[in-house]
Amino acid sequence: MAKMNKKWVVLCSAALAAVYTAGYAATETEASLQQPAAQQIQPSPQAQGSPSAGSGSTAGKSTKAGSIRHTYKDGTFTGMGSNRRGSIQVAVTIKNDKITDVEISRFAMHYSESDVVGLPGEVLQKQSAGVANVSGATYSTEAFRGAVQQALDQARNA
Amino acid sequence: MTLNQWIRSPKGYVTAALSACLLFASLGSGEAKGIGNAIAAVGLAVLADLVLRRLTRKKPVPPDGAAITGLIIALVLSTTASWAVTAVTAVLAIGSKHFLTYKNKPVFNPAAFGLLLSIILFGTGQSWWGAFGDLPAWTVIVLLAGGYAVTDRVNKYPQVFAFFGTYFVLLLLMGLNGTGDAADALRPPFINAALFFGLFMLTDPPTSPAKPKEQVVFGVVAAGAGALVYALFGGLMYLFIGLLLGNLYHWRKARLKVTGVRKENPSFGKTGKGTLGER
Repeated sequence: MAKMNKKWVVLCSAALAAVYTAGYAATETEASLQQPAAQQIQPSPQAQGSPSAGSGSTAGKSTKAGSIRHTYKDGTFTGMGSNRRGSIQVAVTIKNDKITDVEISRFAMHYSESDVVGLPGEVLQKQSAGVANVSGATYSTEAFRGAVQQALDQARNA
Repeated sequence: MTLNQWIRSPKGYVTAALSACLLFASLGSGEAKGIGNAIAAVGLAVLADLVLRRLTRKKPVPPDGAAITGLIIALVLSTTASWAVTAVTAVLAIGSKHFLTYKNKPVFNPAAFGLLLSIILFGTGQSWWGAFGDLPAWTVIVLLAGGYAVTDRVNKYPQVFAFFGTYFVLLLLMGLNGTGDAADALRPPFINAALFFGLFMLTDPPTSPAKPKEQVVFGVVAAGAGALVYALFGGLMYLFIGLLLGNLYHWRKARLKVTGVRKENPSFGKTGKGTLGER
């Protein structure tokens, strides 16, 4: 079979590059919203986290003056962890400096959510974001860990 | 065959390109675990190929194809995967090469089949680290240079252009329409995965057609199915599923051809002349 003419190879490659560039440009806005920059693999808490505005939440409620100063505020706080393979958002509930509930509120990784379904329980048990790596789910674990840490940083009293 | 001749053969080109990817990705990531996994995958794949060839009483041939399968698997599976899982995945791939066959040729691309099974059975994280998905964007030039050299050597430009043309057009439409997650698919590490896949896996000669027209259809089927799976389900398996469906199309086409020839000429294959095996 005859080889493809080099001229056609160059033309086809240029056409592919043009279509790819068009697709890249068309998804630029979507990417800037969904896909954080690479340096946000271990996100900066100040840059990303936000107290939850969910109903029934006591987010941001500080301890009363005169009482024992707590390390964390009571309430539910959200954090986002992300890397090049997606993002995870968690909602962490804190009461009297104790993590009482952790929920994966948004899972947008390219892996299965079932890989990390046990991690919220591990956070409750350890009372920290330092969960162990799940075998075969390193990227999801990293994102989850970052999300919980960010939520905790948001909850921390100044 | 001398080493010099082998290096110039299609398998020699692929092995050289993949070995360069392995070295480059290892140096870029600054860790050697991927090389250890690659040694385990290639070693077990070669061993499995030799054993299965003997068990199935096939003609002994150098196990360079098995080594390529092992290399691809090691470059796709995350370096955080254990060497044992990587090696078992390679063995599963070689098993498919020997048992899922038609006219002594594998129906499915062995590496794609093994990697798909690996996700299902072991939940392996596939990072495509050998496609430089976590390295700076300029490194894609290295990937393209190796991929083009291989594509040229195996004469698969029509297939590769049909695949990427269809894939990029569908992603563009998805992006314009706001369906699926086209933004991710067009950016690292997913675009690196697609390039590695299209240039090194899709071009596998035994499991893809040789004729230009059939190559184009094969490329369109693989890209169309893959993009559809991605649009509907996302995840990581879309490229493999697209290729395996392309393989099924190729297998079906080969069967229909043989059936057609037999109907036209009932003596086909009986005299030993004009059989597919001699082509």
